[in-house]
Amino acid sequence: MGVVANFIRERIPVSGDQLRELTNEPVPNHLRRWWFCLGGTPAYLFVVQIVTGILLAFYYEPSPKAAYESVHYITDEAAFGWYLRSVHKWGATLMIAAVILHQMRVFFTGAYRKPRELNWMVGMCLLICTLVTGFTGYSLVYEQLSYWGATVGANITDTVPVIGVYLKKLMLGGEVYNERTLPRFFMLHAAVLPVSIVLLLGVHITLLRLQGVTEFQFEDEPEDGPKHFNFFPDHLYSELIIGLVLMILLSVLATVLPSTMGPKADPLTTPEVIKPEWFFYVTFRWLKLFSGTAAVLSMGFIAFTMFVWPFIDGLVRRWWPKSEFSVFAGIFAVIAIVGLTTWEALVKH
Amino acid sequence: MKLTTKKSIIGALGLLFLCSLVLVQWMEVARRSEEAGLKEPHITVPATSVACVNCHAQTTAGIIDHWKGSTHARKGVGCVECHQAQKEDADAFNHYGQLIATVVTPMDCGRCHQKEFKEFTLSHHSKAGNILASLDNFLAETVEGSRVNFNPHSPTPGMTPVVEKVNGMASAFSGCQQCHGSKVALKSSDGGAITLDDLKPGPDGKPTNADAVAKIAKDSNGKPILTANTWPNTGIGRINLDGSRGSCSACHSRHDFSPRRARQPENCGKCHLGPDHPQKEIYEESKHGVAFRDLKDKMNLDAEKWVLGKDYSQAPTCATCHMSGNMRNGGKVTHDPGERISWTNRPPVSVLMDTDKDHKIVNETDPEKRRALIADTWQDKRARMMDGCTTCHTSGYVNNFYRQYDDLVILYNEKFAKPGLSIMKSLRDNGMITKTEFDDKIEWTWFLLWHHEGRRARHGAAMMAPDYTHWHGMFEVAQRFYTEFLPEARELAAHSAKDGKAAQAKAVNDVIDAILARDEHKWFKEGAEGQTEMIRKAMQERYGTGGPVAKSEEKSEAKTEAEPKK
Amino acid sequence: MSEETTAQPESPERRTFLGTATSLLMAGGLAAGYGGFAAVVGRYLYPAKPEKKGWLYAADAASMKAGDSFTYRTPTGATVAIARQGDSGEADDFIALSSTCPHLGCQVHWEGPNNRFFCPCHNGVFDPQGKGTGGPPSEAGQALPRYPLKIENGLLFIEVPLEKLDGGSAANEACGHKHPGAC
Repeated sequence: MGVVANFIRERIPVSGDQLRELTNEPVPNHLRRWWFCLGGTPAYLFVVQIVTGILLAFYYEPSPKAAYESVHYITDEAAFGWYLRSVHKWGATLMIAAVILHQMRVFFTGAYRKPRELNWMVGMCLLICTLVTGFTGYSLVYEQLSYWGATVGANITDTVPVIGVYLKKLMLGGEVYNERTLPRFFMLHAAVLPVSIVLLLGVHITLLRLQGVTEFQFEDEPEDGPKHFNFFPDHLYSELIIGLVLMILLSVLATVLPSTMGPKADPLTTPEVIKPEWFFYVTFRWLKLFSGTAAVLSMGFIAFTMFVWPFIDGLVRRWWPKSEFSVFAGIFAVIAIVGLTTWEALVKH
Repeated sequence: MKLTTKKSIIGALGLLFLCSLVLVQWMEVARRSEEAGLKEPHITVPATSVACVNCHAQTTAGIIDHWKGSTHARKGVGCVECHQAQKEDADAFNHYGQLIATVVTPMDCGRCHQKEFKEFTLSHHSKAGNILASLDNFLAETVEGSRVNFNPHSPTPGMTPVVEKVNGMASAFSGCQQCHGSKVALKSSDGGAITLDDLKPGPDGKPTNADAVAKIAKDSNGKPILTANTWPNTGIGRINLDGSRGSCSACHSRHDFSPRRARQPENCGKCHLGPDHPQKEIYEESKHGVAFRDLKDKMNLDAEKWVLGKDYSQAPTCATCHMSGNMRNGGKVTHDPGERISWTNRPPVSVLMDTDKDHKIVNETDPEKRRALIADTWQDKRARMMDGCTTCHTSGYVNNFYRQYDDLVILYNEKFAKPGLSIMKSLRDNGMITKTEFDDKIEWTWFLLWHHEGRRARHGAAMMAPDYTHWHGMFEVAQRFYTEFLPEARELAAHSAKDGKAAQAKAVNDVIDAILARDEHKWFKEGAEGQTEMIRKAMQERYGTGGPVAKSEEKSEAKTEAEPKK
Repeated sequence: MSEETTAQPESPERRTFLGTATSLLMAGGLAAGYGGFAAVVGRYLYPAKPEKKGWLYAADAASMKAGDSFTYRTPTGATVAIARQGDSGEADDFIALSSTCPHLGCQVHWEGPNNRFFCPCHNGVFDPQGKGTGGPPSEAGQALPRYPLKIENGLLFIEVPLEKLDGGSAANEACGHKHPGAC
């Protein structure tokens, strides 16, 4: 043992103390409460997505000629292919849900406030990357809804003033959905976006480590008790428990509600009912409420507002230090989002 | 939470995760076994047919798609295996480097399906083309159409090319021959047609008459031209250029040759239906047909061997009784339905199916000579049919059924068919009707009596459709006989007498009188008041006075109708 | 393993024992769960079946006399020499050998009079059972690979690897891009 340890120590000159220093960040006590672990959940699911995504890519062929058949092969012929595909799909759903919940927790606890404004903005970038990954992934199956979803998405981009038309061409690799479109979506989904997410996560966690986790004091905790506990192994165990619960949840969801396949994409027939994935219901409903450019511009404005919210909130608090403005704004936003999503989910058109 | 608790929870959750994976594994196995039955079989294009499939998937996609669903596709039998031809074949042509022929004949199918080819060739089905010189064909070719093409009498506006000649045989070609089979013909360079009569094919199907072969007209691609009169045609008795008879695709529709379809009554219903032999409708009315309609989904129609009593027993279809195997005959399938038929109800008078070594019906009446000629008795045939019946019914039940059937056939034969035949013979012998069929009214009457109504009655009894036996059958036979056939015969005799042929008229009337004097016809002349009284009494005993009452007016009505109409 | 933050008043032995036991339990659970998942992944990545095989029609048995042979092409394009070597009417009369010489991949052919398969490239000779009897294959102890055969209703069937029809193979494209009439 000693020989091996020495061999390694000589070649990787990191001392145990340094390692402990690096990993054993003191974790604030409030993280003993499970809902504060929502930040780790999307990260764990992201790993699941990477693993299952790589596995799916073993059989997936990103060309309009073969895409549908290859997904069909994965779903119906490859051993456990249906399971891995279903886990990937449910993983995406849970990951987006977890990201949104994490963001809501950060928002309502005011954890984005000075000096953490930039990390909020990095988080916003992560949110956008996650949503776009979901959108492109959905398009890869090349079933009817994938195709028409992508077409509609591209045409929404088109309504953006000035740059929209170029964005659309860039997105589709041509004027309309063509045989070079699917490889584009695949590269975005399987390379560009995951790498972006990894890099952004790196920044996100680095900033978190540099600034430390926002600390909260809860009323039921003793004032004089220890304020921190160890990341290793205590918090790691918590994360392991969350990970396993997620794996079990994913397996059960995949078995009970496995991903199926709709009819193959047919560029000549638009399906009667066309809907995006649930996480785009809000946008979809919004676009139906307002027409064309107005809808897109207002969406852009809302996104921008969310982006710079820490500064807006800062300004407001400078003028009215006691105001609960951001909480009310948050409640309003949540009601609006839930309302629009439910509305879209309940109606056919 | 304590660390030990957390660790325990992690351990438990890890095991739970494993359990969920066991659930996944169970799902996987369930899916596999479910798919095993549903999955489309693996299709392979044999190397010889890759070029055909590639091209025809674009040009005639339906054929390829159909073929993909066939057992042939699954077993590596492609296009060339069936369509291949030798250069000596009259209809062979070079198609992108392959020598092929358009029409695939039973001889071609028989290269692999030898037993089926042999049985089918011996069957009555394969000889269906022999009607080309029969009474029915006379109807289509002469009565309905014209044996010579004739000039149209006024233009058909808009028709291109302009109708120069009316195809007098159109009814025969599109009607008779689509069931019975055409005599396949190639265009001749002198404008005529070349059939097997000209080609004189040898036993190997190759033409022996080089002169006829030399005259075959070809299109710009060197392909012999099949005449539109005779192709397309999937008539079961098609007379092919290679001398083989019939068409396997009559029942095994190309290009999937589905056994499933051949097992279903609709397949036979292309031809076995209508006023003269409504077998399909009779079947549908029978208990058998009703059960089939209800239980079709459970009939295991895709089974490889479809043995009654083993693979299914919900209901019999046409194929079940007439062709398919059953548990009691060891699953023996035959492609000669005649092997199981004990009566032929085709002619005016039903005949028992004692057949000679050539599968021809023995008409000899002398018992000694008859016995010597018979190779296969009607009892043998019935016993083969009964193997199927007794897979579901007891032999006592089946024997009694056959007794009912035989009784009905014999009743029809003795009461109407034989007398009708003798009256027709007498009319012809005495010069009251010509030798030409269908130029005298009574010939139509007689034809309807036996060819339509008489067959309906007999087929109805054969396949358990009481309404066809009675109302569409015997009732109409009787009505036709008493109210049309006899009065028309009498009228012909009366006309003859008026024309000074008293002796001939008497001869005919004597035949009719002798028939009407028989016990079974007595009521018609002498009345049957006593009988109606008897029936009424019996009815009243059974049902009380509210029961149906036979009215004497009915009989007087019948008598008025019996007056000559001419 | 430090448990200072959650220290509880328990005897040290019990603590150690509990700690070890739960650690083992945790390690076991994790190994079982994620190990199971890894097994699923391995099964997914391993090809379902090495290749799909099927019995395909090859010839009408009666059309061949003893000594006759012909070249059969499998759907995947491989050539197979099928020869009849007896008259018993059984599948054993026939032999189906890969025509590819195990030496350097040339195509062998059947020489009826000499009762042997012959490879013209380096004078390789194989006996009727495909065993190398002369030339390089004999020296290396090589034989021609055999395909299983069976006779059903007088028809000879051969078991060969199959290829999928709709696999987007070159086959469908050969015609598709051309004018249909040009095929």
